[in-house]
Amino acid sequence: MKNLSMTGLFILLLIMTACNDQTAGSVNGEWEPKGPIEIVAPAGAGGGWDTTARSVAQVMEEENIVEEDLGIVNKPGGGGAVGWAYVDRKQNNPHHMFIGSPPLVFIPLNGQSQIGYEDFTPLANMIADYAAFAVADDAKWDDLNELFEDMKENPQDITVVGTSSPGSMDHMQFVKIAKAAGVDITKIKYVSSQDGGAMTQILNGNADVFSTGVAETIEQVRAGKIKVLGITAEERLEGETLSQFETAKEQGIDATFVNWRGFFGPAGMDEGQIKYYEEAFKEVSDSEAFKEIREKYGWQEMYMTSEEYKDYLDEQNAELGELLEEMGLTE
Amino acid sequence: MGGLDGLLQGFQVAFSIEGILFVFIGVFIGTFIGMMPGLGPISAIAIMIPITYGMEPTTALVMMAGVYYGAVFGGSTASILLNAPGISGTVATAFDGYPMAQRGEAGKALAIAAVSSFVGGTISVVLLMLFAPALAQVAVTFGPPEYFALMFMGLTAISSLSEGSTIKALISATLGFVFVTVGIDGQTGTPRFTFNNPNLLEGIDFLVIALGLFALAEVCFLIVNRKDTSLSDKANVGSTKLSKADLKEMSGPMSRQSFLGFVLGVLPGAGATIASFIGYITEKKIAKKPEEFGKGSIKGLSAPETANNAATSGAFVPLLSLGIPGSGTTAVMLGAFLVLGIQPGPLLVQDHPDIFWGIIASMYVGNIILLVLNLPLIPYISKLLKIPRPLLISLVIIFSLIGVYSVSFNIFHLYVLLFFGVIGYLMRLTSFPAAPFILAFILGGMMEQSLRQALTASNGSYMVFITEPISLALLLISVLSFAVPVIRGRLRTRQ
Repeated sequence: MKNLSMTGLFILLLIMTACNDQTAGSVNGEWEPKGPIEIVAPAGAGGGWDTTARSVAQVMEEENIVEEDLGIVNKPGGGGAVGWAYVDRKQNNPHHMFIGSPPLVFIPLNGQSQIGYEDFTPLANMIADYAAFAVADDAKWDDLNELFEDMKENPQDITVVGTSSPGSMDHMQFVKIAKAAGVDITKIKYVSSQDGGAMTQILNGNADVFSTGVAETIEQVRAGKIKVLGITAEERLEGETLSQFETAKEQGIDATFVNWRGFFGPAGMDEGQIKYYEEAFKEVSDSEAFKEIREKYGWQEMYMTSEEYKDYLDEQNAELGELLEEMGLTE
Repeated sequence: MGGLDGLLQGFQVAFSIEGILFVFIGVFIGTFIGMMPGLGPISAIAIMIPITYGMEPTTALVMMAGVYYGAVFGGSTASILLNAPGISGTVATAFDGYPMAQRGEAGKALAIAAVSSFVGGTISVVLLMLFAPALAQVAVTFGPPEYFALMFMGLTAISSLSEGSTIKALISATLGFVFVTVGIDGQTGTPRFTFNNPNLLEGIDFLVIALGLFALAEVCFLIVNRKDTSLSDKANVGSTKLSKADLKEMSGPMSRQSFLGFVLGVLPGAGATIASFIGYITEKKIAKKPEEFGKGSIKGLSAPETANNAATSGAFVPLLSLGIPGSGTTAVMLGAFLVLGIQPGPLLVQDHPDIFWGIIASMYVGNIILLVLNLPLIPYISKLLKIPRPLLISLVIIFSLIGVYSVSFNIFHLYVLLFFGVIGYLMRLTSFPAAPFILAFILGGMMEQSLRQALTASNGSYMVFITEPISLALLLISVLSFAVPVIRGRLRTRQ
């Protein structure tokens, strides 16, 4: 037994040494991975990042889009900062990447991470998810306008709850829509509650509005415990329950918030490497298998190439930066 | 709603050959991983998630539930034998379990833990079966003011956990509060005491503190005193037989803590840890000989073990009937559900009665298997203590390191672990008790966040803690538990 494990260790060491030659760049603008690819989900198992990364990897393997093995590694911490710092240390090794979303813009802006999206190579965006603002089923508001009118008059009476910390996604997605509706955003009361506490606080009336993702509300809406006042998508979503949710735009509030999710590699990847991944992700995005996954989770298709993604992120950064500054949350 | 039909369907799942087989696999793996010092249900479930890919959801979830409560069942072993708790729920088990093992009664201690776990687990499954959908309402009655009051009540336990100097106990608890503030503050998003080190953003994991202050401090102590012969004769395992008197002594804590533990388990965020501490404290408060607690008391071991297993069943209430994970472990468990395409929530019992009732019914089977599996193994498991001391110490160190790494996947936290090992040893040398430190650390984080959530929602008015009846009741109990002994003492001196 002992011998066996020693042999195993030795083989593992051999593999690890063999893998060290992964840093070679593209030849004639062409590149292919030379070993297993590690995708970091900078949060725990079962969350949005983890689910997206796992389902993309699953399609890549099942449809033979990528020949090498794909491993998902969970690196939770700091709202993503721990995972980002890890991939940042893997410069010159294009076999590492992570899945990112708006916190990658928010968290550097409010000073909780020194590393931001500019420190990575955007590879491709895959999907769009949207925010939903939910209240208890017996709450007095039936749409966003009623809520916001009330907030304009009595901002001290309305508590918004979310999972992320102030200045990050759950908070700012609400702020963005509220601002467009003319609410004084510096007076919004926001509490952060982890470990499933946010939904509890809506159900027991300690907080009034739950700012969260669309998917997180479906089950409780179907059970008649909460109602969704509005979502942040451009258009109505499809799906049995999802199609009932009115968008903010439909209610005359001219603002949207996209929870984009895509993949980022370490800084300094060359053109051949970017091209390889862009194409692989495009193939996933266009596949029938991934279409089914999108429908299952209520995600929308939102493929962007590396170049498009970079421009999009710059826009987001400028827009959200202004919003955070107005809230006094920038560093 | 056809509750009875559902339950029958559940038993059909649980008593099918496949059901029993996978419950067995689940609890076996769970109890095995749980026994490893430093490894608890989080690691056990996380290890098992990839295995469930492509499995039939009911079988997979019955198995995963087995892994969960199996790991809690087995978790007491490392606490009792090595003073190395693998989860926060078994820290209180070490208070009396380890001294008992040191006294040469390891076999008996493990048997007490196994029987208490079994009773706590089984009674709570009955409660779960009868009241799960109804109790979902109870789970959401607790808002920030109530949680603050509950944590406050937990803190009054510091007085019961202090051996000797109360001042030292308070200093120790203050240190616990200090260290729990490290990391990103939930309410403002500001990093506190992280010194620009991204590794500290998430704060310090409970396990790091527990293994440092308990396991590594003990290891330091054993290494320093290795020449002391009085310590070297601990290989005596003793009998695993429980006498009638023992069982009688356990019956009180077991019957009370099965209920109390279950109710505390239902509250998201409270869970097994707080249940085990409160179980320990209440038993100490009502015991006829409270001075025996902390020195290997049967009641002191039985109470937390019953409570933490009962709380584990309780934690399934918010998970299954609300889709709300109440702890880190149930959050991973929720992940396991989602991976299989099952969304737990208020509709689970209607949409998937086979899963809902199957899990509950399988817990009866699981608890019986655990008892049958564990009792005969006790003599062999406790032989662990016969491993030569130098080897055993090395193993404890290695498992502590593995345990921390398997939770954080971060080398930095191993250094933090060693740091707390040294702190724990220094505290022992200067006779500062470690238990108040750990209690303050467990309760402090949630207490602070609840306090601030409550005050934000109330626009800064402290009245919320008094106007909410549950909160008021809990605060009154805390004040009384402090005041009554003092007043009684005064009256006595006057006479």
